[in-house]
Amino acid sequence: MTQWIKVGAVVLTLVVAGCQTARGRHESNVPPQPTQPSAPASKPGYGVVTPPLGEPTPVAPTTPVAPGTDSVLAPPTEKVLPNFPKSADAISGPAVLSLLRSAQSARAAGQYAQAAGSLERALRIEPRNYFVWSTLADTYLRQKSYDQAESVAQKSNSIARGNVYVLQENWRVIRDSRTARNNPAGAAEAQSRIDVIQQMLQPAVLPVAPQ
Amino acid sequence: MKAFFIKIRYVVVAALILLISAAVIGFSIYLTSLDKEIRARFAGARWALPAQVYAAPLELYPGQALDSATLKHELERLGYREQPEPQGPGTFAITKDQALIYTRAFNFWDGAQPESRLSVRLAPAGITEVNDAVSGKSRDIVRLDPMLIGSIYPQQGEDRVLVKLTDVPQMLPRGLVAVEDRSFYSHYGVSIKGIMRAAFANLMAGHAVEGASTITQQLVKNFFLTPERSLKRKFKEVCMALLLEAHYSKDEIMEAYLNEVHLGQDGNRAVHGFGLGAQFYFNKPLSELHPHEFALLVGLVKGPSYYNPRRNPERAKARRDLVLQIFNDEGLIDDAEYKSAVELPLGLAGKSDGVARYPAFVDLVKRQLKGQYQDNDLTNEGLRIFTTLDPRAQEALEKQITEGLPVLEGQRKMKAGALQGAGVITSVDGGEVLALVGGRETRYAGFNRALDSRRSIGSLAKPFVYLTALQQPQQFNLTTILPDDPISLTMPNKDVWEPHNYDRQNHGPQPLYMALAQSYNLPTVALGLRVGATEVRKTMQLAGYSGNVLPVPSIFLGSLDAAPVEVAQMYATLAASGYQSPLSAIREVETKEGQPLSRFPIKVKQTLPEGPVYLATWAMRQVMTLGTGRSAYNVISPSTIVAGKTGTTDEMRDAWFAGFSADRVAVIWVGRDDFRPMGLSGATGALPIWSKVMRDIGVRGLDPLPPADVEEQLTDTATGLKADAGCTGAMLVPYIRGYAPTETAPCASILAPVNSAVDWLKGMLQ
Repeated sequence: MTQWIKVGAVVLTLVVAGCQTARGRHESNVPPQPTQPSAPASKPGYGVVTPPLGEPTPVAPTTPVAPGTDSVLAPPTEKVLPNFPKSADAISGPAVLSLLRSAQSARAAGQYAQAAGSLERALRIEPRNYFVWSTLADTYLRQKSYDQAESVAQKSNSIARGNVYVLQENWRVIRDSRTARNNPAGAAEAQSRIDVIQQMLQPAVLPVAPQ
Repeated sequence: MKAFFIKIRYVVVAALILLISAAVIGFSIYLTSLDKEIRARFAGARWALPAQVYAAPLELYPGQALDSATLKHELERLGYREQPEPQGPGTFAITKDQALIYTRAFNFWDGAQPESRLSVRLAPAGITEVNDAVSGKSRDIVRLDPMLIGSIYPQQGEDRVLVKLTDVPQMLPRGLVAVEDRSFYSHYGVSIKGIMRAAFANLMAGHAVEGASTITQQLVKNFFLTPERSLKRKFKEVCMALLLEAHYSKDEIMEAYLNEVHLGQDGNRAVHGFGLGAQFYFNKPLSELHPHEFALLVGLVKGPSYYNPRRNPERAKARRDLVLQIFNDEGLIDDAEYKSAVELPLGLAGKSDGVARYPAFVDLVKRQLKGQYQDNDLTNEGLRIFTTLDPRAQEALEKQITEGLPVLEGQRKMKAGALQGAGVITSVDGGEVLALVGGRETRYAGFNRALDSRRSIGSLAKPFVYLTALQQPQQFNLTTILPDDPISLTMPNKDVWEPHNYDRQNHGPQPLYMALAQSYNLPTVALGLRVGATEVRKTMQLAGYSGNVLPVPSIFLGSLDAAPVEVAQMYATLAASGYQSPLSAIREVETKEGQPLSRFPIKVKQTLPEGPVYLATWAMRQVMTLGTGRSAYNVISPSTIVAGKTGTTDEMRDAWFAGFSADRVAVIWVGRDDFRPMGLSGATGALPIWSKVMRDIGVRGLDPLPPADVEEQLTDTATGLKADAGCTGAMLVPYIRGYAPTETAPCASILAPVNSAVDWLKGMLQ
């Protein structure tokens, strides 16, 4: 029985990871908007070349459903989920986005100290940017600083104001850190948080996959 | 007879030959040993290189709150020169709404940033655009080169900033040759002509008035020899000069000379080489010096103390102008340049603009490195240390402490200089130490009160008593009513402890938050006794207190010692919602070649629960609006929400204020080194300085958004019960979710049923 739960958890993990990676992909397809009032609209430079901030692994993107577009069949719970920003683009200034891009290319090259340095620069500019904290947490995870990865993910959670996309990502980091530190009970607890978020996000996906 | 003489002659000649041979052999051995010495010295690292300490770089990006005047000030502090048209790195032009900046190249720890020409658009609120002035392309973020704030040199030691000959403007070596050693490029280390000239001059004068040292000889003297004057030493000098020339090129000798020469003294720090000389006298890199500045440095070689431009400006100017004359004769500058150059003042940077500006902060840097690096590594290896110092924050802290103390002395009719002060500013998220002042003489390394003055913290301890209680939501909340009654405690040693309120009055029962806001002692002790001293001490330790105090009730009122930096650590944990980041003054350390050695990444650990910390800081916000800290809002804009706590110790020996905004923590201490009472409380002594510092550094106000496990409820503060619109003076108070008072206050009772009916209806409709 527990064996099956474990298998289920692993599958779910993969799915969650997949959804996570898809997030960044998807976001990059959306024409970015100037995020700062001070950024002049005539300057198309800001954010246009933003590479995906999620992982570059290609995964089938989930198709988002705009509220009310599909049909009356869409369950009303869909509207309960507030419109949380899904990527850093929505809440960050151009300087922070630029540093996030540097961090991302450093991460891709396996230069995690370099990436952390850029993220720390970004945090000095926007200390409450929970996306940046979240990326820093994941960077620590890749650096195998599991202790810091979990703490920083918790910190991101505490300022994320209930943003389920960020929370989900942070709980994934926490789960993996706990797994790496041989804390299966803690990892399972983190997984249960992910499951709850998954369920919250579920109705939005269901109508397009009616089989 | 004749034969006898011939025999004698042979003997003499043989003896002479033997003697000469012996001398030649002896001399050869001597030369070989000298040669060995020279090679040994020149082959490896020629100098012990002090570590160089840098401030945090200024970042330019759209949205940065930096107006024209502030940016100009920042650039000038970095030694950038204002020009009508920026020409070359380290220059700028600025108006109210635009700045053109020609930035310097700099090797940052994460990569080199080339020099660039920037066009920065400015509005009163800050930077709106940063563009490359050449291509017109927008730049998202650009770092300016960081300020060199000090170096870690050995006691009684030589300090220098190494330069390469290829990076040095030609005017300097050519000027030096013209002034010091005209035949440098043609002689073999010594100049016969020079010696003859000097000998003649000395003969005429009857004593030694002129040296005949070539640049090579001067280098040898500085490098290998003691300053004693003797024929023997002179002989050695000549031999070594010849040997040096035989082994090394003129360029190598010139480069060594540029880095070796002594150019001044700063306390026990010896300023060596032109690289440091340029920083020390002009606060900019050698490559940016103008002819009159080069001339001053070249002139100093003859006698850095005799021609000390700070002490003997007129003498130094005469010497400089003479050197400029030689520059002109040699064709290094034309007549027009010469004429304008001699008109210029010396153009010295203030001594405080030199390299040892922030001794207290560099002290902290050294201590943080202590465990990781040997003293020798720091003083010899030329490490580059990138710190967290924010020069703007540092300037504000220094200014408010040095200007604030004389004002306080005036108010209290104290002798000038009687008071001392210390202060710390840190960031909230990440725990970076941005500024540190260890005493009112900010330029002198002395007793560093910010780190070493452990004094009683008084009421700064109270938030930790309240926070301990608020972690038990089933027992305590912000509106729990506390008694304000006399307390008498018999201690284990039979002493009786009878604390009093500061004003020696009793104020009647107080809601918990109000007792903290007004800093009442008796309710605090009553609360502390209910939660226990051990628990309170534990909360303090979780916040970052590292001292070893007994868990006795007097700690509720702060009878424990801590240095300002430790208080900053404790309050930073509160400011960061319970997530502690160990305070750090360093970001990165790299080798002199630019290889990263160690990074000090942001560390975060949740040590205190978020909800209760939010409640405690909510009460600390009330300190500022209706309690002992309210005069802060005479200085800080009332729209900027801050939280803090006053601290006053027995008989007013210490005045503290510690508090924070969303992004900054600041701690101020004012007191006397002799521990005598000074008649100042936390509110009258430390708070005025704190408020001005927070205003000057432009803090961001706290965001009054409660965390997920906190709910807010309208409460009647007189009873601590649930209130509604019918209650006058009701307050929206945060509670740990699920623990808000459910019982309705008398003032709300009439409307209560109606309200619950409305609630019920709402519930039905949802």
